[in-house]
Amino acid sequence: MKAVLDALRREGILGINGRNARYTLKANPRRLYPLVDDKLRTKQLCLDAGIPTPALLGSASHHFEIRDLLVRLEQHDRFVLKPARGAMGNGILVVTGRDEKGFVRSGGRRVTVDAIRYHAASIISGLYALGGQNDVAMVEELLQVHPDLVEITKDGVPDIRVIIYRGIPAMAMTRLPTSSSGGRANLHQGAVGAGIDIRTGNITHAVCKGRPVRRHPDSRLLLRGRPLPRFEEVLEIAVRATDQTGLNYVGADIVVDARYGPVILELNARPGLAVQVANRAGLQPRLESIDRLWRPDRPLAERISLGQEIGEVAYDA
Amino acid sequence: MNNAARITGAALLTLGLALFGWKIFFLGLPLVPSDPEGLWAADLAVQARGGPGTASVTVALPESEPGQVIFDERSVSEGLSFAVRSHGGQRLGVWSGPVDGAINVAAGFRVQLNANTEPKARTDEQTDDALLGATIELPARAPEVQALLERLRLADVGSEADRARMAFAFVNDEVGIVPTGSDDAILTLASREGSPSGKTRLLATLLRAAEVPSRVVVGVRLERGTLPTEVPWVEAYAGGRWISMSPTEGFFGNRPPGLLVMRRGSLNLVEATGVDAVVHRFHAIPERLRPDELATMMSPSSTILESLSLYRLPVATQNALRALLLLPLGGLAVSFFRNIVGLPTFGTFMPILIAYTLRETSLGLGLVMVFSVLAIGILTRVLLDRLHLLMVPRLSILLCIVVLVVVLLALWGRGLDQTDLFSGVLFPIVILTMLVERFSITLAEEGLRGALVKAGWSVLIAVAVYPVFRSVLAEHIMFGFPELLFVVMGILVWMGAYTGYRVSDLIRFRSFAQERDDS
Repeated sequence: MKAVLDALRREGILGINGRNARYTLKANPRRLYPLVDDKLRTKQLCLDAGIPTPALLGSASHHFEIRDLLVRLEQHDRFVLKPARGAMGNGILVVTGRDEKGFVRSGGRRVTVDAIRYHAASIISGLYALGGQNDVAMVEELLQVHPDLVEITKDGVPDIRVIIYRGIPAMAMTRLPTSSSGGRANLHQGAVGAGIDIRTGNITHAVCKGRPVRRHPDSRLLLRGRPLPRFEEVLEIAVRATDQTGLNYVGADIVVDARYGPVILELNARPGLAVQVANRAGLQPRLESIDRLWRPDRPLAERISLGQEIGEVAYDA
Repeated sequence: MNNAARITGAALLTLGLALFGWKIFFLGLPLVPSDPEGLWAADLAVQARGGPGTASVTVALPESEPGQVIFDERSVSEGLSFAVRSHGGQRLGVWSGPVDGAINVAAGFRVQLNANTEPKARTDEQTDDALLGATIELPARAPEVQALLERLRLADVGSEADRARMAFAFVNDEVGIVPTGSDDAILTLASREGSPSGKTRLLATLLRAAEVPSRVVVGVRLERGTLPTEVPWVEAYAGGRWISMSPTEGFFGNRPPGLLVMRRGSLNLVEATGVDAVVHRFHAIPERLRPDELATMMSPSSTILESLSLYRLPVATQNALRALLLLPLGGLAVSFFRNIVGLPTFGTFMPILIAYTLRETSLGLGLVMVFSVLAIGILTRVLLDRLHLLMVPRLSILLCIVVLVVVLLALWGRGLDQTDLFSGVLFPIVILTMLVERFSITLAEEGLRGALVKAGWSVLIAVAVYPVFRSVLAEHIMFGFPELLFVVMGILVWMGAYTGYRVSDLIRFRSFAQERDDS
């Protein structure tokens, strides 16, 4: 235990109490949480600022609207049905195609129209919402995996999590779905978490189920050094979207789509700490550097390069 | 930890400890309960309704005698005048005055019971006439009683003690008890079954008919871990000494220890005029301090503290506060396990509430109830999943099933003669329905694994807190020294400002302590 404690202190690992007391509690005013807890509001915020997000195919905030929603879905074969206020990826239903018998879910399982109707109703009843209040069922276009990432992805869409503190990117990782994560980009369920050198956008180090890995468990391809596509743009929209919210400690989730490039999936006001494991680096020194170097009214490009410099110091140290 | 929190915490801690230390060292209040045997705080509370008009409520007051010492008597009067009277050697408390609506009065006292249970010797007041005469309650001259006397040939037996034994044997063996039976001696004799009161009155009637001086007595059984119950019995004067006997409790000779004598000569604890719907209830809690220690707790040499002493409150309120004052300790434990250790639980209070359930029932029964509720949660989910129901009705169905199971348990409990199985556990059942709601929502949100992990840790923390909740010492310290709440708050302020690693962080990030082997 003592050895672990010393190591965590040496690396500047941020713990849950430290994150809550020093960052989320201080940097994120409570009243701004609804902006990011409700994905429809986040989407509207991004649209207003011209920041790309996945296309919204429809939504239903009342049970009687489900029928209309299903009618609209008849024109689409590939979509994602999810709760607007869901947490931790719960309640997300991914439909990847259809045939005469009905819809096909990611991973090949079939799903009937009835099951989709029930899922939408469960969402509206607040089953997946934070706190269990009524929620909105929203349907988004299914994103396409960027060709550069296809060979290190299995059955799903990888995303990139960027931690932004006071408008400056501090750390980033990508979450690569595996067959054991069932196509989900969720580290708890067995997705690979890969740290990103934010100067270059190259993968530095990766973990899967809490253990360091060198290769993607499905394709057996080496991960280290592999570049992520359009990473500069990823950082840019992450910071721009965060600027719209007024929040100061945010985890931005971004997908690099094959057709549209980087799009904002969602923002998180209480981002988790696994990004440190994926990067094999602590957040604490970077956040402290940001506090030291922060000046009001820095332009966007300057803030991004500042974050990259801080990241560089961290890698060199 | 930030400075403001450090100072606030220290200030609260100092305040609490200073008050605590002052009470212990300067006022000499007892820190460790001596937990004496047979010492009780009790009260007889009466609720009545009536008026407008003048009313009076009379209750029997116990008296110090061999076997029991009564002290610290007090009364709750609610605007009525209160007087203590003596009637035929029996102390009575009488409230009287104008009544319009509901009245609540109570007579409280502390009692030390001891092993010597022989009633005190006869006084001049207790003449043979008073102990042998026929009354409405004890109709010793009634033809049915005389006929029975003939049949049993009681009059032929020589000594009073033998007649008493025969009468007792008859009532004990030949007359049954039904809780809903008659209270009347003659009706009990006619149907060969009656209520405990009826049976007791029949015995006294028969004794008087057989020329054995006797009287009925009503008392209260005080026993740790059970609710106080009223017990009637008979005292007969035979061979120059009192013999206590009860055909309902099955004793003959001396009464068993643990019985507090409330009233002799009548089985009525409460009588009232001018009101109706009279309900009385006896409350009792075992005292954990000796009488002299209690005296210092109730009247410390400071008038402010005297008015703040919780020991002066009515017994039922004391009982509630004793439980309530333990809850902050549970909060302390949950804060520790969540913020320092980092265990996931259902909400903040659920482990405390589960621990409270265990305190109110028992560790075994409580855990059985918790696990059955969780099993119901899983089972219902499996069964109802196919019906595709919405959340709130589904949770309400769960509630119905929990109530159904409780009803079945109550029936099963009756079969086991455990009539009191549910009398004290209504609140725990409410807690358990909250638990099943939290559990099934987590089940839906995070899956079986996540829900079971949270349920497991919640129950484990509850089990860890349970010994504290059951501890006589913890209860005494929190009840006698409620200023310790400030100490608890101080520690909580410090805990809340702790920004260091949780134990769960150390486990989660343990890979940082290993060599970099993947480069």
